[in-house]
Amino acid sequence: MSSPSFISIENVVKTFGAFTAIDGISLGIGQGEFFSLLGPSGCGKSTLLRMLAGFETPDSGRILLDGADVTEIPAHRRPTNMMFQSYALFPHLTVRKNIAFGLVQDRVDRAEIGKRIAEVAEKLHLEPMLERKPAQLSGGQRQRVALARALVKRPKVLLLDEPLGALDKNLRLQTQHELVRLQKELGLTFIIVTHDQHEAMTVSSRIAIMKQGKVLQIGTPEAVYETPASRYVAKFLGETNIYEGVAGERDGESIALDSDEAGGRLLGQCIDGVRPGDRVWLSVRPERIELRPSGEGLPGTIEDVSYIGAERRYWLRLESGAMLEALRINHGLGDDFAVGDPVVARWDARAAHLLTE
Amino acid sequence: MKTPTRFGRALLILPPYLWLLVFFLAPFALVMAISLSEVRLGMPPYTPLFSRDGLVLSFRLNFENYAFLLRDDIYVRAYLSSVKIAVISTFITLLVAYPLAYGISRASDRWRPILVFLVIVPFWSSLLIRVYSWIGILRNDGLLNWLLLKLGVISSPLAIMNTETAIYIGIVYTYLPFMVLPIYSALSGADETLVEAARDLGCSPFAAFWRVTFPLSLSGVAAGCALVLIPAIGEFVIPDLLGGADTQMIGRTIWLEFFNNRDWPIASAITVILLAILVVPIIAVQSRLARTRM
Repeated sequence: MSSPSFISIENVVKTFGAFTAIDGISLGIGQGEFFSLLGPSGCGKSTLLRMLAGFETPDSGRILLDGADVTEIPAHRRPTNMMFQSYALFPHLTVRKNIAFGLVQDRVDRAEIGKRIAEVAEKLHLEPMLERKPAQLSGGQRQRVALARALVKRPKVLLLDEPLGALDKNLRLQTQHELVRLQKELGLTFIIVTHDQHEAMTVSSRIAIMKQGKVLQIGTPEAVYETPASRYVAKFLGETNIYEGVAGERDGESIALDSDEAGGRLLGQCIDGVRPGDRVWLSVRPERIELRPSGEGLPGTIEDVSYIGAERRYWLRLESGAMLEALRINHGLGDDFAVGDPVVARWDARAAHLLTE
Repeated sequence: MKTPTRFGRALLILPPYLWLLVFFLAPFALVMAISLSEVRLGMPPYTPLFSRDGLVLSFRLNFENYAFLLRDDIYVRAYLSSVKIAVISTFITLLVAYPLAYGISRASDRWRPILVFLVIVPFWSSLLIRVYSWIGILRNDGLLNWLLLKLGVISSPLAIMNTETAIYIGIVYTYLPFMVLPIYSALSGADETLVEAARDLGCSPFAAFWRVTFPLSLSGVAAGCALVLIPAIGEFVIPDLLGGADTQMIGRTIWLEFFNNRDWPIASAITVILLAILVVPIIAVQSRLARTRM
């Protein structure tokens, strides 16, 4: 990753009346990154994006972009462009004039405007609809026009506010890949706000997981999924089973914990700073759990099964009364379990992650 | 939803069309007929269009009234002066109303209904009383001159009463709500993020207004202008009470022909031409609205 301080957000605080939207955030984003701000609604991710765009000013703290302090610079003088959740296409203008809007404002000469529109229209397959009005376009087409309108200005940073929220699922998946391709091709820095963890995982080079105006963890999709910093992050990204316990002695890379909640001794991958006797939690993802009819492991009874085609999801009632969710690929070998079957669940110590908060 | 049948649709639009037929088209046909007759002494004070001589039904169309209107330039001048006064006062009304409507549309949720209410409140009293009170304000020893003299802005009273200026003041004042409300409605319906998008694409606040907010409010501007211009052309009360004898507007001319000269055919002919003049802006606005709705 190139210089991680292409954009740097330093101790930024923003309040709206009594509500603290951004509660002291500092983070750095590198040039050419596809960076996601991920969190539930009201976590402050949109406010942070709007501050990068220049629509909101922080109460305190600074925002630096490519070495320049832009904290007080108004939106129209920033080298950023935004793609709005509603697309915000100008209904009175044709697609061509929508795309040209920013260039006309910057007094780019006509020939150059024509050239750049042709370029971006080709890239986003907009040529056949340049003379149409936004009302005559489908949702997917509008989304591409909104993208073209922002990209044609060649911003240093493209800000995307829930850009795919209004698309149906298939189109959304396809567009995610197109966004990644486009971002690589242009070498631009993209910052996307989303509440959809799959979307964030698919498109981003790094993800910042936010909650109540704070950043909980920043990392690559793999890092935040494999080594979440907290129970909240572990639960927010994908499904997981979390059991409370007391840390035992370390045994090489693995550690055992006694869990009253799960009703037994659990094994997990050790992390630094955990001492025997500490209160810890273990997170085991459903896809890491192996179910067997009998043998060593946590015994339980199948309480519910959901059949999803490619896989089956099992909900086990452990003997302690806690629930455990396991995912099993549908191999089609007829070795599936039914509700009421007694099973044991086990996993490799390396596949379970220890959490201290 | 099920598409209504042709019969159902006809049933639905029949009552309003009947209403228009009875209360608009029929009276207009009468006026049209009178405009093609000749003036005479008696009751009614015009010759019948149809006459029957035994079994022969004959009718005479008399275009002399229209020819007369064109020959005597007092009528042409009255039309031109009406159109001029109406256009100028519509423009002034727009200049006053737009910022007002913009301000109201940007006001907080708590203030907006109160401000809209204040715009409508004058309708609660009679137009006549409101115009009369302008006489009290504008006349030489009126409120305005008294105030300006007291403040030392002027040394002798301004003669506003009985001038075109007084007519402009009266029309702008009276028709302001008709301009404010449609513009306000267009502005408050606009999507706020469009302005942000314009700002993001490099527009200063003023440029964003000029390139996005204003064009998107044009349907409201067009509706407001039509609502002011059309009645202002035929306005009678305001020029009669506030204007001088030298400002001849067409509404007053019609009044004079009808009631002073008892020349119904001429008055009717003036009315028909007035309507023809008004049809132009009405159609322009209609087609404009139809286009923006697309």
